[in-house]
Amino acid sequence: MEVQLIKIEKRNDVSRSIFLLTPILAIFLTLFGGGIIFYALGFNPLEALKFFFITPISDLYGLSELLLKATPLCLIAIGLSFCFKSNNWNIGAEGQLIFGGIVGGGVALLFYNHDGFYVLPIIILSGAVGGMVFAMIPAILKTFFNTNEILVSLMLVYVAKLLLDYLVVGPWSNPEGFNFPETRQFSASARMPILFDGLRIHAGIFITLVTVFLSWLILYKTYLGFQIKVSGLSLKTANYAGYKGKIMIIIVFMISGACAGIAGVGEITGPIGQLHRNISPDYGFTAIIVAFLGRLNPVGIIFASLIVALTYLGAETAQIFLQIPKYTGQVFQGMILFFLLASDYLLFFKIKFLGLKKNDI
Amino acid sequence: MNTKLKVSEISKIYPGCVANDKVSLEFGSGKIYALLGENGAGKSTLVKILSGVVKPDKGQVFLNNESIKLNSPLDAKKNNIGMVFQHFNLFETLSVFENLSIDSNKKNEDLRVLIDGILKKYNFKIDLDVPVLNLSAGQKQKVEIIRCLIRNPKVLIMDEPTSVLTEQETDDLFISLKQFSKDGILIIYITHKLKEVLSLCDEVAVMRKGKVVSVSKTIDEKIETLANKMVGENLNTIKKKINIFKNSEEILKISNLNFKSDDPYETNLNNLNLSLKKGECLGIAGISGNGQNELFQILSGEIITEGTSIKFRNKEIGKLNPRERREYLMAFSPEDRISQAAVPELKIYENVALNNFKSSNFFEKGLVNEKKIKEHTQKILSNFSVNTDNVELKSQFLSGGNLQKLIIGRELITSPELLVCFNPTWGLDVGAINYIHKTLININQQGKSSILISTDNDELLKLSDRVCVIYKGKLSKIMNAESVTPEKLGILMGGGSID
Repeated sequence: MEVQLIKIEKRNDVSRSIFLLTPILAIFLTLFGGGIIFYALGFNPLEALKFFFITPISDLYGLSELLLKATPLCLIAIGLSFCFKSNNWNIGAEGQLIFGGIVGGGVALLFYNHDGFYVLPIIILSGAVGGMVFAMIPAILKTFFNTNEILVSLMLVYVAKLLLDYLVVGPWSNPEGFNFPETRQFSASARMPILFDGLRIHAGIFITLVTVFLSWLILYKTYLGFQIKVSGLSLKTANYAGYKGKIMIIIVFMISGACAGIAGVGEITGPIGQLHRNISPDYGFTAIIVAFLGRLNPVGIIFASLIVALTYLGAETAQIFLQIPKYTGQVFQGMILFFLLASDYLLFFKIKFLGLKKNDI
Repeated sequence: MNTKLKVSEISKIYPGCVANDKVSLEFGSGKIYALLGENGAGKSTLVKILSGVVKPDKGQVFLNNESIKLNSPLDAKKNNIGMVFQHFNLFETLSVFENLSIDSNKKNEDLRVLIDGILKKYNFKIDLDVPVLNLSAGQKQKVEIIRCLIRNPKVLIMDEPTSVLTEQETDDLFISLKQFSKDGILIIYITHKLKEVLSLCDEVAVMRKGKVVSVSKTIDEKIETLANKMVGENLNTIKKKINIFKNSEEILKISNLNFKSDDPYETNLNNLNLSLKKGECLGIAGISGNGQNELFQILSGEIITEGTSIKFRNKEIGKLNPRERREYLMAFSPEDRISQAAVPELKIYENVALNNFKSSNFFEKGLVNEKKIKEHTQKILSNFSVNTDNVELKSQFLSGGNLQKLIIGRELITSPELLVCFNPTWGLDVGAINYIHKTLININQQGKSSILISTDNDELLKLSDRVCVIYKGKLSKIMNAESVTPEKLGILMGGGSID
């Protein structure tokens, strides 16, 4: 039997501009792939893509919704970029978001008949601490027991989800709520201030923007950021330079957990206003895509979060106008990640065909 | 079955290094041949050529007087040349049988019968159905050997097979090898251990710097004569002038240091003792893989040990990490300059910032002081004649020599009291080597101490005041460099003893 021999070689000369441009290529490929899917479903691809990507943001309300969805995505992805840059694979931001939501929500319920400017900051802070503590579990297990942080952080997502389920059905359910699985509505002073009347976009966006700026500062201008960068590029070098690797693992997980926790609080004190079973449409998982699409760069992540947020909106419009399930949004998110990874692979490696060879071992 | 293997005029040139220079050798079945040489002598290249991994630039291989082409490992298998590498190629989580059946085209039942036959014949005790990860190193090696035996090899090449074995396992292996040889398999045994050559092999070919320097019967050889041939005799010429700091104070003391690793490919260190005086250079010789890596990491703080075992300037530093040790004026230049001492993707000035000592002020109040780092880098580039003045250049674009100058410069510009370096000149051209050697001699003359761990005996005898040899994680006694001959070093490096 004859077989084609293939050799995969690393490229040494990857230019930075192409590295930054491949995400855009991935987005175009996603649009193209989406067009083919729509065509196969019997729609006019251009028409359908228009419903998906343009109709949702053609009015002020749509733009506000876009920012509303981009806010948590961007915040979580920024946090994750700390982990990913230092080779720590935190896959459980969804769990940290939910746990932050639980802690923040619990505090909000505690204050449900209180008024005062101090209520909201306390809730946000407790949400951040909640997410942080929850993220420290995989970090501590990794540093002291050599567990795999991917598995631990991922499995903890389901722990957080079930805990939330239990709380909203049981002890925290609204006493006047006819046994619906939800808590009381939070008081007005426990809610994020709305920026414009009639739109849902809230003050959480400022938290995200400040975080973006701070993380840029930390990553590029501080010793901590330098250590994160070196550990990500070469653990051997970090060890040789004497960086305290274990403490750093815990720090990046704490940052990332805090960001996810705040994102969770932003959801429940923003558009939702109470705790119920589904406080996040998988923002914590989707943010992984956002982080990579944004090349782990704070500015890149802002743009990536807007694009990925659009897939959430597009899916809803497509459900209304084209009668296709809103899970199409996840198909698009999956395609973005797939095309990004594929183009990265081809960017960093070249495939050589070595010709036919007789195969007899 | 009578096998004749002949390599004729094999040459292989790598950039900057002649790995094999017109190597011609003949082997016949019924005998065990040793291929002896130091690191970099060209043994591995020759073996890789015979197993089809590397293609020679010139020369031919003849099997039973027929020229054969070895373009890939598959070709070697087709010609019944079997090879057991030093590092095993086994899937740890698969069973022994699954590992053996992967690259066999026989039916499973037939294969099992065949393997059972081999196990019985050579008295191997291995359970075929346990996962490989449960096996000892010696058993794993047997699996690799069985994999070769399944194909009825005419030639069996063993590359440094005893480096991961215990004494008992080594004895077992030798019994098996002698049996294979009786059964007509031609065995080529690669090693740098002199005793093994004498106890196992019939003939020995010694390689040095890519050339075959001698072929002889082992009955005509002694440990000393082999050591001499392996190391070469004309090394004793260049030497550093005798050190003026001979009676100065002690700066470093290591006492009763032990290190046990969980990784079977790492070497355990046993009961290390050494001391170092101000202004002195201690050379540590040895064939690579005898514990040098572990020793370097223990000195640098990458491996933390009991607090009391290492004393530097009367402080116990065993528990300190590399950055903390730098505060006490130690400096380190690791062997792996490309991916450990520096990060190729980082700019030159960022790589300089890796050596962040307190007085450097590279990071004030946690913020990066880019200006300071760049000024400091500029100073290193000019003081240590690195061939660029662009601190923004990524260090992957520096040549090996310039990168090493940068690293040595980074380590020395803080005027450390002790520099530990590990193979500082491997792969460098003569000019860079001379520069590094001059620099190392210079620091001793300024009253600073150094430890030079090196596999290059020339370098060691040229630079050290005292030398010792590390073999299987143990240090030999420390000798004055003037009294050491290359022959003595060779014997110690091969596991022999002198006096």
